Amino acid sequence: MRSIRLENITKKFDGEVIIDNLSLTIPSGKFFALLGPSGGGKTTLLRLIAGFDQVDSGTIFLGNQDITHAPINERRVNTVFQNYALFPHMNVFDNVAYGLKIKRLDKDVIEQRVIKILKTVHLEKHIYKSITQLSGGQQQRVALARAIINEPEVLLLDEPLAALDLKLRERMLIELIELQDTLKTTFVYVTHDQFEALTVADYMAIMNQDGQIEQVNTPKQVYEFPVSTFVANFVGTTNLLNGTLQLKDASQKLAIDGLGQFEVAVSSDKSWASDGSAVSLSIRPEKIDISKKEEAGFSNHLKGIVQSIVYHGRSTQYNVRVSNGQLLQVFEQNEEHFPQEVIEYDDEVNLYWQKENAVLLEK
Amino acid sequence: MKKNDLKNALKREAPFFMIMPALIWQVLFFFVPFFIILGLSFVTFYGPVIGQIVTFNYYLSLCDNAHVRIVARSLIFAVLNAIFCLICAYPVAYFLARRITRWKNFFLFFLILPFWTNMLIQIHAWFFILERNGLINTILLKLGIITTPLHLANNIGSVFLLMVYCYMPFMIMPLYSILEKLDQRLIESSYDLGANNWQTFFNVTLPLSLPGIKTGLFLVFVPSFGEFVIPALMGGSKHMFVGSLISHYFLMAFDVQKGAAFTIASGLVLLLVFVLCNWFFSKKMRTTKGPSYAAFTPESLPSDVNSGE
Repeated sequence: MRSIRLENITKKFDGEVIIDNLSLTIPSGKFFALLGPSGGGKTTLLRLIAGFDQVDSGTIFLGNQDITHAPINERRVNTVFQNYALFPHMNVFDNVAYGLKIKRLDKDVIEQRVIKILKTVHLEKHIYKSITQLSGGQQQRVALARAIINEPEVLLLDEPLAALDLKLRERMLIELIELQDTLKTTFVYVTHDQFEALTVADYMAIMNQDGQIEQVNTPKQVYEFPVSTFVANFVGTTNLLNGTLQLKDASQKLAIDGLGQFEVAVSSDKSWASDGSAVSLSIRPEKIDISKKEEAGFSNHLKGIVQSIVYHGRSTQYNVRVSNGQLLQVFEQNEEHFPQEVIEYDDEVNLYWQKENAVLLEK
Repeated sequence: MKKNDLKNALKREAPFFMIMPALIWQVLFFFVPFFIILGLSFVTFYGPVIGQIVTFNYYLSLCDNAHVRIVARSLIFAVLNAIFCLICAYPVAYFLARRITRWKNFFLFFLILPFWTNMLIQIHAWFFILERNGLINTILLKLGIITTPLHLANNIGSVFLLMVYCYMPFMIMPLYSILEKLDQRLIESSYDLGANNWQTFFNVTLPLSLPGIKTGLFLVFVPSFGEFVIPALMGGSKHMFVGSLISHYFLMAFDVQKGAAFTIASGLVLLLVFVLCNWFFSKKMRTTKGPSYAAFTPESLPSDVNSGE
């Protein structure tokens, strides 16, 4: 396991800038997720690390070694491709053994290691099957086995579960986490699915549509304390309220047109936050309490009319129209079979939230 | 109601009507002539007894050195032609399909250009290059490299040269189309797993282009076995080939029965080679189902592997 350090990477295709002056450090031995919308340059970044494409400028380090211009086959990095890219003319054994055969290892050694790795990914019963006889999940495991048998310093995974159904995807995510735990290899997991990224990652980077990294942190930090409206919107769902900061006296308030004034918590690291600056307030739907009754003990309160109700099973989503016309989403856990208070369409409801549970963002 | 029934019936039988022209064509111009030839090769009109109308004499008369030599020569020529075309065409197809990105259509256009020109014209164009006062001899004489003109045309070498020239596009096209379709990610994953250019070529690119190689070999081999025009025009009528002998029997010697027998016999040789070749390729192209190492059988697996549920 080694770290990956990208310094001032720029990549263009036909004159169009895909990645512009990007710097990123991927810590060694961690499960690192690169999350971003489709077509944002995530895969390009992965291809640059693997060596399939060359950077236009910048440097790529594997540990302390500069691999910017190293040939693909000399990088101790292996890739799990999005569509697996398994060799169709070989069976499972030969696919997995490919890297070892290239290294001209002893036949006995190859056998032992292939069987060991196939047991790790639960494919020991399919050793001699041809690739076309396998299901999508099994092909995924072969691709994984083929990549990790070379004991790479870094394993790159390009949307590896995109082709699998939900149940299988959830199972594979757990297996990937366990695999990373045992191997301690640095995993770089590219995905556009925030659920996958939040589930697997020790650290995650959020990449925006323009190929820039917006935030790098633990999933929890990213979810609870997004640094931009893009991150707040892309990771999970959120309600964004636009307004003007009012930092007079000791009180910290946000004035929102048509809604009134609300208490906010301005942390010291938000240096851009000054009196009169236009900002956005991000409140996660589950951080809002909904009730038809008046409740005390909350720093902020808002009234609205229930527009629609979406039942999700474990939770219920209420879409509430507030007085400035904006729709706010509220999630409530379905904790009881027979809730004391039943909220229906067109009910007038009270929304409550604590100022510490909302995040102030630069607009 | 009745009208609808008819309409539905027509609709249902549409595929049948669609294939009718092809079917009629095939029957009239392939099966009928084929069975006429087949029949002719067994029938005698001059037998001493009416009962002896069926005979194997024509086939027996083919079992001499001269005929065997002609079939062998055609066979060797066709095989060499196919192999030589493959060796020359593979790099061309490879670079066209996988290396060249700009001017691709331009090069492809030049590749199919000979198809638009009559083969006879192509062959005669070669005379200008190869003949006594042709391009090569003129240049070599002018440069003082030779003093007397070389004998380049009208020999077995020039026949081979023209065969390769004329059949090359038939090899390039299937190779190009399969190499073009080859998934780039397979190549990338081979590099990714540590293989260099040559290892990737021999382990991934070449095995995956086998269907194209097979098609190309057949497309070149089968027609060049019966090639008639090139030896006739370029061969200087010194060396007989299967095609030239068949035309000799039918058109010069008017020995229709012997010609028919020879046609059927040489066709059988062709079929035999075809079957052998097909068998070889299907063996090569099958995914390895069993263990790739002799020592490694399912029984020799560690016991805990098999016992796992």
